[in-house]
Amino acid sequence: MVNNKNIIVTGALSGIGKATIEVLLKHNAKVFACIQFETEQYSDYLLKLNKEFPDKIIPIVMDLNDENSIKEAVKKIRSYKISIDGLLNIAGMTEDAIFQMISLEQMKKIMNINFFAQMKFTQYIVKLMLKKGFGSIVNVSSISGVDGNEGQTSYSSSKGAIISATKTLSKELASKGIRVNAIAPGTIATRMTDKVPLEILNKQLSKVNLKRIGQAEEVANLLMFLASDFSSYITGQVIRVDGGM
Amino acid sequence: MRMLKNKVSLITGCNRGIGKAILELYAQNGSKIYAHSRKKNEDFVEFLNHLSEKYDVEIIPVFWDLTDYNEMKIFFRKLVKSKEYIDVLVNNAGVTYNSLFLMSSIVELRKQFEVNFFALYQLTQYIVKLMTKAKKGSIINVSSTAAFDGNMGKSAYGPSKAAVHALTQTLSAELGAYNIRVNSVAPGVTDTDMLKSMPENIVLETIEQTDIKRLGKPIDIANTVLFLGSDYSSYISGQVIRVDGGLK
Repeated sequence: MVNNKNIIVTGALSGIGKATIEVLLKHNAKVFACIQFETEQYSDYLLKLNKEFPDKIIPIVMDLNDENSIKEAVKKIRSYKISIDGLLNIAGMTEDAIFQMISLEQMKKIMNINFFAQMKFTQYIVKLMLKKGFGSIVNVSSISGVDGNEGQTSYSSSKGAIISATKTLSKELASKGIRVNAIAPGTIATRMTDKVPLEILNKQLSKVNLKRIGQAEEVANLLMFLASDFSSYITGQVIRVDGGM
Repeated sequence: MRMLKNKVSLITGCNRGIGKAILELYAQNGSKIYAHSRKKNEDFVEFLNHLSEKYDVEIIPVFWDLTDYNEMKIFFRKLVKSKEYIDVLVNNAGVTYNSLFLMSSIVELRKQFEVNFFALYQLTQYIVKLMTKAKKGSIINVSSTAAFDGNMGKSAYGPSKAAVHALTQTLSAELGAYNIRVNSVAPGVTDTDMLKSMPENIVLETIEQTDIKRLGKPIDIANTVLFLGSDYSSYISGQVIRVDGGLK
């Protein structure tokens, strides 16, 4: 599906991002794995991946909190002088709290990581894609960004902003060969859902048609589909991967 | 990579257009196929033989008018008798007549609902009986963006496809517990025979309204139908995926 494609993945440290680089590598893509910071454990993991998929993975350290770090990451990506076929914006964070309890600082922090920094990074990568007149961008939103969710005013707002940007970018860029889509994962087994109390988790899952939690790999498969040429006539869409709700 | 290895699929209306593209892609991806078409046709059978040889898959042609419920029942009984199982049902067959609301006859309206909705409903009911037993399955309904956008001359076709969409969501809710996923694909303006029923200026205007500025090709739709039929979409259900080049 993504044979020999060069794809940038943000948030590759854990959860959906980590599952995505694994799925992409298994399908013979070359992956720029953007991580916020390096840990010894992650370096070992990369070494292992590199052994299994030689010359297919390039780690890039990029802290979305820091504009300079974004710039440096782009510089490094550019230095490889290979065309970029896909950008998967997966990095994101949440700090759940009911509306009355959120400080403006917190709101800005979430919005900065989940939206402003992603847009800045996307801007740089679009410039690279425009040179070839080809590319696919997929933004990871959330069902919370579509439906809203208790305790997630800041998170859901940032994910809603991503959806809106996706639609506008599709209008601006699709005629130039760059498709832009968003996906909205439902309840997926990651560190983020680990923090959710079991009672609330079960309540959420009872609303899921498939009656089970989703796995990160299942989200990764959709990301791969949208990055691939299999979806060459799909743009400006928000696709839910939520087991049906 | 064969995405449908060891799967058995039933595709309706696959003698031309989008259905034909789905048929070929499914064969290429290793699925055993029951290939449905309304009328028996030697060229079609020959094409199936060619696909079967080329991709080394079994393809069984089945012919009946979708609205002939008796023939449908006979087909289903044969399936049951042969202990066949269907992993993927692609409800693709459909008809359209374009006419302005005031010029549309109730007869034409009913005809479109008969094929696009009632026949689909009945066939799905039969196949779901097999799927619930096996506790797995994927159903893909080929709908249309006309179901959502409201297009001139589509006062019958649009509602028939909207009904399919509502059915998709209800079935997803009812059948999810049996591990059966139900989704629909909504093609935008796609380069098929159906397009010929639309005036050229409207087609050009619609292309202008897409982000991507071109017509869809049958293979574009088929690729999404393949993804939804495969296990790659194992957590996607109750969705309508627009394959429309970003149509507004």
